[in-house]
Amino acid sequence: MTEYQARQLQFSGSGGEYFRIWIVNVCLSIVTLGVYSAWAKVKRNQYFYRHTTLAGASFDYHGDPKAILKGRVVAFLLFACYTLVGKFDQVAGSAILLVIIVAMPWLLMRSLRFRLHNTSYRGLRFAFHGSTGAAYFNFLLLPVLSALTLGLLWPLAQQRMARYTRENSTYGSEFFKFFAGSGAYYRIYFMTIFIGVLVFAGLMASVMLLGSKELIPVEADQLVAMSVLVASIGTYLALFLLAYPYVAARLQNLIWNNTQLGPHGFQAQLRAREMLGIMFGNVLLTLLTLGLYKPFADIRLARYRIEHVTLLTRGSIDDFVAGLQTNSSAAGDEMAEMFDFDIAL
Amino acid sequence: MWLTAVYYDGRQARPHPVTLCVEGDKLLLQGRDIVRREELNGLKIPPPLGSTPRLILFADGGRCEVADRQGFAEMLQDAGNSAVAGMENSWWYALAALLLTLSLLAVVYLFGLPYAARVVADRVPVYLLERMDNQFFASLDQTLLMPSKLAEERRHTLQDGLRRLVLPPGEDRPAHIEFRGSPTLGANAFALPGGSVLVLDDLVNLASNDQEILAVLAHEMGHVHEKHALRQMLQASVVGLAMAWYIGDVSSLLAVAPTVLLETRYSRDFERRADAFAAELLRGNGIPVSRLADILEKLEAAHQTAAPKQLAESVEALDYLSSHPNTEERIKRLRGL
Ligand SMILES: [Zn+2]
Repeated sequence: MTEYQARQLQFSGSGGEYFRIWIVNVCLSIVTLGVYSAWAKVKRNQYFYRHTTLAGASFDYHGDPKAILKGRVVAFLLFACYTLVGKFDQVAGSAILLVIIVAMPWLLMRSLRFRLHNTSYRGLRFAFHGSTGAAYFNFLLLPVLSALTLGLLWPLAQQRMARYTRENSTYGSEFFKFFAGSGAYYRIYFMTIFIGVLVFAGLMASVMLLGSKELIPVEADQLVAMSVLVASIGTYLALFLLAYPYVAARLQNLIWNNTQLGPHGFQAQLRAREMLGIMFGNVLLTLLTLGLYKPFADIRLARYRIEHVTLLTRGSIDDFVAGLQTNSSAAGDEMAEMFDFDIAL
Repeated sequence: MWLTAVYYDGRQARPHPVTLCVEGDKLLLQGRDIVRREELNGLKIPPPLGSTPRLILFADGGRCEVADRQGFAEMLQDAGNSAVAGMENSWWYALAALLLTLSLLAVVYLFGLPYAARVVADRVPVYLLERMDNQFFASLDQTLLMPSKLAEERRHTLQDGLRRLVLPPGEDRPAHIEFRGSPTLGANAFALPGGSVLVLDDLVNLASNDQEILAVLAHEMGHVHEKHALRQMLQASVVGLAMAWYIGDVSSLLAVAPTVLLETRYSRDFERRADAFAAELLRGNGIPVSRLADILEKLEAAHQTAAPKQLAESVEALDYLSSHPNTEERIKRLRGL
């Protein structure tokens, strides 16, 4: 059995260089009343993909701007329809929204297909082969069930969604494999809730202690209510600010660390603290510069996410061969983007 | 001239180190176990993109990656280069694009958007607008609004007074008034997108005489006449959408804040025009324009003590008669007329 050899993904994009491409994209998109935005999207993706290298070769993006433009027009019309009709007639607006929600699993499936089909590495394409039925099961039925069980099934639903997206993806003719069970997902959420309970208990105990020593001016009979209030607010803030990046980083790591491609494995080492720092800094600087920092922010986040993933090769990675091609249209991808539902890949 | 490159045949992930050279109108590719001679015309050479590697794409899925961008440009005489690629490389073009973008956005915001909103507002069918008003009342009647506590005769007197107003030429639709009570909104009146005017009990009680109320109604009719509420709503939706799209991945919550700031400029302009309309209407009916100034002063005083400003502003896109910072300026202008 050969040893694993670690090959880190590298990202060589730079903020200044991307800023120039971005601003020309924005300008031309406005001048052409949005038509150029499809070409701009291709450029943006090509910039990020081609600057991502693994073992000396770069990724590439092959989306067809004309297909993307068509998808954008459809998505835009639907979205405008939904917003405008909603103003005049709430019932009709809700009906359109319902149709969109029902179509969402199919759109997500098409979106995955378009994105992977248009991604290549070393001249071989990725592809997605997930079925429509499974998309409805994983993207609609499971989330609805987890809502009905007050979130108890949510970790399981997330595990099934990740498994669906990974196990139906191919590089060349090789399928990805996914090993994480739902237990690992439940552990991450239990950990988060456990920390939340600790924070709550700690805050409550300290308010009680301070109150009983009369260090804070509270009547004795209000002390319990006061400590519960402070603990609730503190816990809510802590979970809101820290739990989301914590869970997001842990899930990413879990997914990558349990993914295999042929004999090769992956390893991700994203840290919630660092992610939080980058995201917070990005939002702050983007607001302070009225949006001009946005391209730099995109580069910073991409670098962090890309460079913390490693391919663990076992043997040669030269032996992958081309697989069957799926056909794909851009409508699903554009719709998913417009209505802001996304799946972490 | 020779250039080193890596070739992938599109069937296997194996990299082939190769050398490239141009012979006439053909590209010659040579590696240890591969030789290709292809017409330059049959190859796809994507334009350069920043410092990413240069590429040559073959019709059969083959692909060359060239790290030496300088050598590539010299050998292929900038094949695949485009005007856009040149712009993307220069800081001067970036600066020009930035300035052009900012000025275009300013033009769209200052002229394009108001114009488009007016054009669209004039084309929205009346029955749709009436539906919007009905919906407005349906959604607020249980929460912010309550049935009016004014006496039946009082309301009839006011409606009669409004009906007797001589309308300016071109305006044939008398305003349709709805009376409601609202402890949270206090003394106020709103022009709705569909042309209804909502008058709150506290406003009627605050006025010293009916002429003051008619003055407020005349002002609201000014909003109705120029479809301000509808235009405001359309403009705000477009600005909101653009903001949400742009800041989108930062946070949808943050996208709302700048929209509120951008909206106030429009509403100031609309207030001025509604005041001018009211002044003309009042003068045409022998009512002193100062009545509007009088009631505005009272509203300002009443709202300063009650201060339900945030609540009034949270009612979507409608006229907040008195919660504007420029009320003093408006009163001064009306007194000057
Ligand atoms: Zn007004």
